[in-house]
Amino acid sequence: MRKVLILDPRDNIAVCLADLAEGDVVQQDDITITVKNKIPRGHKIATAEIAKNDGIIKYGERMGHAVSPIAIGEHVHVHNILGDRLSAEQV
Amino acid sequence: MQSPLKAYKRANGAWGLRNQVLILPMHSALSSTARAIADSSDGAVAISHDWSGEKDNDLARIIFTLSGYASNPNIFATVFLSIGSPEEEQIIKGAQALGLTRFTNLLLPEIGSMEKLQQQALSIANGYVKEANSEVRVDAPWSAIVLGLECGGSDALSGITANPALGVASDRLVELGASSVLGETTEILGAEHLLAARAIDPAVGKKIVEMVARYEDSINYEGIDIRGAQPSRGNIEGGLSTLEEKSLGAAKKAGNAPFTGTLEFGEIPQVPGLYFMDTPGHDIEQLAGFGAGHINVVVFTSGRGTPTGSAIMPTIKVSTNTPMYESIPDLIDLDAGTIADGIETLAQVGDRIFNEIVQVANGKLTKAERGGHHEFALSRMYKTVVK
Repeated sequence: MRKVLILDPRDNIAVCLADLAEGDVVQQDDITITVKNKIPRGHKIATAEIAKNDGIIKYGERMGHAVSPIAIGEHVHVHNILGDRLSAEQV
Repeated sequence: MQSPLKAYKRANGAWGLRNQVLILPMHSALSSTARAIADSSDGAVAISHDWSGEKDNDLARIIFTLSGYASNPNIFATVFLSIGSPEEEQIIKGAQALGLTRFTNLLLPEIGSMEKLQQQALSIANGYVKEANSEVRVDAPWSAIVLGLECGGSDALSGITANPALGVASDRLVELGASSVLGETTEILGAEHLLAARAIDPAVGKKIVEMVARYEDSINYEGIDIRGAQPSRGNIEGGLSTLEEKSLGAAKKAGNAPFTGTLEFGEIPQVPGLYFMDTPGHDIEQLAGFGAGHINVVVFTSGRGTPTGSAIMPTIKVSTNTPMYESIPDLIDLDAGTIADGIETLAQVGDRIFNEIVQVANGKLTKAERGGHHEFALSRMYKTVVK
């Protein structure tokens, strides 16, 4: 059973297929990631180091940018990323 | 890869994946009769609709929708039921211009009674069915497939299971020389600039952005702000963080291939490739646009499940989650929920969808076809005005 889903090889996030807890180790598809914080099923986990303002890549396409640095294994969601458009409304 | 397809070749070079005989009422009052004729026939199909000849701002849209639908390459012959108006003549002329060669137009005022109309139509339809059944499929190229991509009743898994898996199948077909058409303008709102960046030239990209802006203007006119509140609270709880992400999840039905062009509602693609068609989010209206645009097979991804089907286009249903697939097995053809459960990869499910499209193209009946689900709805832009 896979724990995460990598949608495109260019992505810097993966989608969690199970609830992940801090300290869990995900080992599949040539990656090994130690989970940094609790991440619910269906949410995203960083699979690469992401600097502030770097693009968040899902499906090989840019779906937004980081508003703070994100480490491998961290939960990637509305607390640390924003869409490139409509940022004002979302803030 | 050598094409394994076998299909019906039409006089204008288009390919039919089915050989249907369509009973097409040209007025709402003839809709029930059209259904009754199809039900008692040896295999003809019918649609019904609610247009009663109103000559309002939607007239041109309705005429070309019915012309396009009546001439879809999946149709062997069409039996028109008319009340004798000039607009009906226009619909038939339009269908002929788009490739319809075998048809009969029955006029109620000439025939004189509904009963006689029904008898004559039935006998003509049965004759066409007999002819259609004796026609054989011949070797067809990959370009014979014109695939329509649709989703309805999306859930939190749509964007990671069924939609991207369908994208894998769509990319493979486009690569082989088939056509694939993404619709639902409302669904790509927020990701239009990303899709535009995948256009084969800047003009096509510009057109994609314009189509979305045009749609957004019409929605704003109705007083609905569709962008501001996206993604919704429920989306965010499910794990979606940005509007781009949500819209990409829907647009991934079209995979990663470059966009060859854009199509207006019901417009027919002229060369193979991936297209974006400006269609409404309403599933059945969109299917009518696909039919009018000569799409000959549809894949429909769904999270909540739907019986939706078409009289003329085989419609393959793919579930985004396994519980839904298991709850309505007579409606859903394939399950992509296995991706979310870590059992299958996107590539594996994409393969299954690809193989199913090929088999259905070659004649395998979809569950919607077996169930006789023949939905149709005209898409309108304006209020109906009776003059």
